[in-house]
Amino acid sequence: MMRSWKSLRGAMIALGCALGLTAALAAPAHAQKKYKIFLSLSYSGNAWQSEAANIVKALAATPPYDKMVDLREVISGTDVQAQISAYQSMIDAGAQGIISFPVSPTGLNRIIKRGCAKGVLFFMYDATVTEPCAYNVSYITAGFGENTAQALVNELGGKGKIFLSRGVPGNSVDKRHTDGAMSIFKKYPGIKIVAEYYGMWSDQTTQSETAKALAAHPDVDGIWAQAGEDGAIKALLATGQKKLIPVTGENSNGFRLALANPDYQARGLKGVSSGSPPATAGYAFKLMMEKLTGKRDLKVHNIQYPLPWVPASAVKLCTSDKFENGCNTFPEGKVPDSFVTEVFQPTLLPELSLVTAQEGKPTPGATIQPLPAEVVAAPDTPGINCSHCNPPANLYPLTKVQPTVQP
Amino acid sequence: MSATGTLPVARRPGGASTRRLLANGTFNVFVVYVLLFVILMIKQPDTLSAFGVTDLFNNALPLALAAAGGGLVVLTRGFDLSVAGVIALTNVLIATALPDGPWGAVLAVAIAGGAGLVVGAVNGYLVAYVRLQSIASTLATMIVCSGVALLVLDAPGGQVPDAVVYGFSGVLPGNVPVSAVVALVVVLLWLALRRTDWGVAIYAIGADETAAALAGIPVRRAKFFTYCLAGILYGFAGLMLSAVTATGNPNGGTTYLLLMFAAIAIGGTAFSGGRGGVIGSMIGAATLTLLQKVLFSAGVSSFYTGIFQGLVMILAVVIGAITARLAEGRAR
Amino acid sequence: MSGLDTARIATSPDERRTRRPRIGSDAWTVIGLFAVTIVMILASRLISPSFGSWDQARAILVLTSFVMVIAFGQQSVILLGGLDLSVGSMMTLGGILTFSWIGGSGSALIWGIPAVLLVTGLVGAVNGLGVTFFRVPPFIMTLAMGIIIYSVALGITGGTPSGQAVPALGWLFSHRLFGIPWVILLMALFAVLGTIFQQATPFGRRLYAIGTSPEAAAIAGMPVRRIVILTYAISGAAAGLAGILMVGYSGGATLTMGDSYLLPSIAAVVIGGTSIVGGRGLYAGAIAGAFLLTTLSTVISSIGIAQGWRTIIYGLVILVALVLLREELSLWFLRLRSRGGR
Repeated sequence: MMRSWKSLRGAMIALGCALGLTAALAAPAHAQKKYKIFLSLSYSGNAWQSEAANIVKALAATPPYDKMVDLREVISGTDVQAQISAYQSMIDAGAQGIISFPVSPTGLNRIIKRGCAKGVLFFMYDATVTEPCAYNVSYITAGFGENTAQALVNELGGKGKIFLSRGVPGNSVDKRHTDGAMSIFKKYPGIKIVAEYYGMWSDQTTQSETAKALAAHPDVDGIWAQAGEDGAIKALLATGQKKLIPVTGENSNGFRLALANPDYQARGLKGVSSGSPPATAGYAFKLMMEKLTGKRDLKVHNIQYPLPWVPASAVKLCTSDKFENGCNTFPEGKVPDSFVTEVFQPTLLPELSLVTAQEGKPTPGATIQPLPAEVVAAPDTPGINCSHCNPPANLYPLTKVQPTVQP
Repeated sequence: MSATGTLPVARRPGGASTRRLLANGTFNVFVVYVLLFVILMIKQPDTLSAFGVTDLFNNALPLALAAAGGGLVVLTRGFDLSVAGVIALTNVLIATALPDGPWGAVLAVAIAGGAGLVVGAVNGYLVAYVRLQSIASTLATMIVCSGVALLVLDAPGGQVPDAVVYGFSGVLPGNVPVSAVVALVVVLLWLALRRTDWGVAIYAIGADETAAALAGIPVRRAKFFTYCLAGILYGFAGLMLSAVTATGNPNGGTTYLLLMFAAIAIGGTAFSGGRGGVIGSMIGAATLTLLQKVLFSAGVSSFYTGIFQGLVMILAVVIGAITARLAEGRAR
Repeated sequence: MSGLDTARIATSPDERRTRRPRIGSDAWTVIGLFAVTIVMILASRLISPSFGSWDQARAILVLTSFVMVIAFGQQSVILLGGLDLSVGSMMTLGGILTFSWIGGSGSALIWGIPAVLLVTGLVGAVNGLGVTFFRVPPFIMTLAMGIIIYSVALGITGGTPSGQAVPALGWLFSHRLFGIPWVILLMALFAVLGTIFQQATPFGRRLYAIGTSPEAAAIAGMPVRRIVILTYAISGAAAGLAGILMVGYSGGATLTMGDSYLLPSIAAVVIGGTSIVGGRGLYAGAIAGAFLLTTLSTVISSIGIAQGWRTIIYGLVILVALVLLREELSLWFLRLRSRGGR
């Protein structure tokens, strides 16, 4: 008995030593000096995140970066401490640049500050942090909420009942979008929000929640949605009613195809596809590389990415795997409905094609093109990209549409 | 027959289980922790720097405190899911309700402990006196707490006072992390409490509640106290989380739900009650957080960290069960 | 977990071991739950005249189907005294496999659906193996398996599952017979079959026996291990079936599709009167619990208050349901009735 118990302990110790030795011996040998870049994700397992990560990986493998960049991906999950720990490990491992989707706008600030002091560049894409030394590259300040709200109000002629399909409760991006939208809706007394629910940025949840709301309010006139809007469309279609209504949302392929569908249009589906572009990650990566290689001196820390804006009339199907002729949607069957289409940006990111977003591989024959010299600075938004700061007087300016109806 | 084969039968159940505990779950997880630490030191020599040690303690302590509290409940064969709600609640309260200045730290401790105590008392009352099933009633209280947290702070933000941030996640003179001191205090408190009547009672209740009741142990009171204590520990976990992240997040507690039980399992506490304890759970939490770093330094692809975590959990429990049975056999 | 059962101390050990499922108090629980739910739907008319309609009831029934199916497996496992925390990941796995294996092809349905159920059932059986042969506590085994399955799915799909919507499954949700969607009829059949399985088959009776006392069941010669493994397999397959249905409902599969169904499955089962230590409870109770929870969240989310308040009310109602439906209360109620009959 004693012997077997002791030997079990001994076996564990031996196993541990073996593990340790192999891990130590498995250290990679460095061929030539490459920039050590880490791609730090928090969430995973949804189309937006994997497309954004793929874009970064593809760009890192596109010449000449393929010889210059040693990219490693780390996924830490939704626990902010796990991402703090990951940042610590990356800083200790000698990272020169960390490109990341931060899980919290405020909780990572201390470790980022420590990293900046050591000379590490932090570039955040889409989600932002309020730490001043980090660089935020995002569309958040470009006004998704207020612009889509005004577009919906315009379609409804200034009055009607609407649903508000939000994202995740307690999340600052959801709050910014909704606050922007509410600033518009409040101006019109004829607009009534009859249902407000959280679709959790998921097509399935949005579909269930919209179905529940439709059952209670079958006479709704319009839907303002954040990501997951394709679920709202499916819920509308499932009611079996002939009449469809205006819907504004983000940029899933299914939504854009629905907007362009002549049958749905005839039944009353109108709207705009806007929302968060995964291509932001590519822009952030190229900015970081240009700064690292000394080609750019980036003084601005909060950089705004242009807000996608595709009304139903502007939906254009891509005929190949490349983004040519201003196309912005993929034919049915080429990608799943939940595919997030804004993975292209011909001006800023000509190196992208469908394969970069889907597989993380570089476009054959592409090389990295220099970015345009100017960057658009994002306005100070407390809680999003700065903490002790004052927002501009008009925090929700309309940039894409103008009101066609007066309150 | 070896010298250690003739273990004296202790008068109090706590005594014999102390020996068994040190011989099994806690010791094993400690060995695993040391192994992982050695691997990490080889791959990343920075680990033993001043920052490194403080970071390790700071990262592990919120989960360790949560696992300490959850482990207490598991000892009585219960499941306390309210950890996620209490952590979120104390985190947002500390980020919004405190003034600047040194009094902030004292007030933070009071708020964290107080909120945790209130929730723990509600849980304890529902499980011990109203006799609801713990997994369901703590799920309900967790939902209520997360709703309250959302009312207090509707998006990440707030400001945790510097006194709390540097007071709890900083270092004392001599480069001793404050979080290490906190952990030590909790361990010492536990060792003291375990020798009290209550400490004996929870092991007995977990092992066989009917027998414990028949032996005259005040089962309901002991359970109630257990949930209260667990609530206070969750509150302190929220306090440490606030200190490390320096902000409030109404959704900050959700990841603790499953991680806490993983830490308790790895730490050697048996889910059938009666075996294990606070120390093992805390080391289990430290091991889990260290595992992330080790996997990172060993270059394991992120996709597979989940598989590693799951396998480690199962292995830990299996090995714990095997060594427990072997140790019992040895004592005969 | 739950406190001492005074009724169990009062009866003799023999009586406890051979006791049949207590239809009396459990049936009252089921009836009570359905009554509360219907009252809730009708009362919601006070909020708005368009509530409390057939449309709303129909939508609730359709949405309840997913929790209902998962709850069957969860309830069977809980009857044994176990727990299955991997149902969320299993549902996701079932959905992903359906999306990619069956896709747009109608003919693939015939072998596709059994194949998906087989795979998820086998994975569930691994849970059972861990619980029986390696004596891993169900909480840990199923929790770990859930994490592992999710990671495997993440690694294989690379973050985005590929495939196509299955028209035949979508048909279940979009087409109706006399105004009732086909999926509801299917669920009614599922409910009947599930109840028969638990109450009237030898396997079902053994479930109750093992849950009440595994030692006595073993002494009585039942193949306890085999039954436990099979039950976990059933739970896996039930979650896989829920995933199949979800592909029909939403026309797609994502890696997070099952996540929001784990805690509701446990809540539905427990509210429905099944004891977490095993040995008693009805599937009908779990169905009633699922129905109640879906109705509750529907009604609450239509009230125009802050999300924080909505969450608090949801938690409080669950708490009230648990307090009102605990076994002491139904025992008291039964004793009241029998006293009145004298």
